[in-house]
Amino acid sequence: MNTPRKSGFAEWSGVAVRWGVGLLFIYMGLSKALDPVDFLKLVRQYDLPVTSFLLNAISGALPWFETFCGILLLLGVCVRGTSLVILAMLAPFTILVIDRALELASAKQLAFCAVKFDCGCGAGEVFICAKVLENCVLMLLSAWLLTGAGRRLALRYSL
Amino acid sequence: MKKTLLESATIVLIGAVLSLVANAVSPRGLKLSRDYFPKSEPVSSAPSNAVPVNAPANVAERLSALGFSMMDSNAVIQAYQSPERLQNLLIFVDARDDAHYAKGHIPGAYQLDYYRPENYLPAVLPAAMAAQRVVIYCSGGDCQDSELAGRLLRDSGVPPQNLFIYPGGFAEWSTNNLPVELGAKDSQIFQR
Repeated sequence: MNTPRKSGFAEWSGVAVRWGVGLLFIYMGLSKALDPVDFLKLVRQYDLPVTSFLLNAISGALPWFETFCGILLLLGVCVRGTSLVILAMLAPFTILVIDRALELASAKQLAFCAVKFDCGCGAGEVFICAKVLENCVLMLLSAWLLTGAGRRLALRYSL
Repeated sequence: MKKTLLESATIVLIGAVLSLVANAVSPRGLKLSRDYFPKSEPVSSAPSNAVPVNAPANVAERLSALGFSMMDSNAVIQAYQSPERLQNLLIFVDARDDAHYAKGHIPGAYQLDYYRPENYLPAVLPAAMAAQRVVIYCSGGDCQDSELAGRLLRDSGVPPQNLFIYPGGFAEWSTNNLPVELGAKDSQIFQR
């Protein structure tokens, strides 16, 4: 049975997660948006089968888009929709990072978890296992927000 | 769920527009129409004055295919100490961004940030055209910005035989305890 104390804790936890994920996306997004050339070089390393126009659009606009999503979460606007978008960004990005890490591990004859590189997330060079773990945690937290957590103090929870 | 999907679609639409606008108005934004990494056109033969270097084989092959000559550390030091440099018959070009350039560069080196050429080419091009040798460097290692800057100068009219790439880059220069100038070009402020 949900006691008021438990549901209060769950509600406030949801707010903390919403603010935490929001702030993280704002920080990561802005750190790339303010240096898009660096991000362009990092995106290029993934060898995506895209035109130069699309590569530039991804590199130039995606960081701002991440910041936008972070702001929406922080303010509590369209929380479920934003969480779904963040999940939709994190999942393929994590796959790309793992793929790139496997390439590097093979090329440099390293153990998978020993691979360290700048994946383009905005945190500089990171060990791949830590990055994958971090992304999994973020995806879980976003999934939790998708279920309805984080309503309290939301400016406009739904459209 | 339908409502959530609708929210997501709205966020993606509005977010995409806002992001593209932000990139367009940002002074650091990327030009969407520019091909920053054009495919290289291999040159049929390497230039006769190509200097064999201790660079990784793939770097040497790539630069040779582009028709660029390379300079190793010793050749670069000799070039730096040559009287040609003082007469501006030999110039150094730093292909890194403002922050890296200001933190330290080869003394007297011109800056040419390949990703913002409109800010730098007007100053660099006349000097490069007048020089007999132009030595271009970036950070070293995997950095390809020196090659890209070299191609930009070549495509702007600098004779390719005058262009040299220093693959070791600033990382190698600074670890060899060679002079490092701080701040702007010819600031005369040197790292101690």
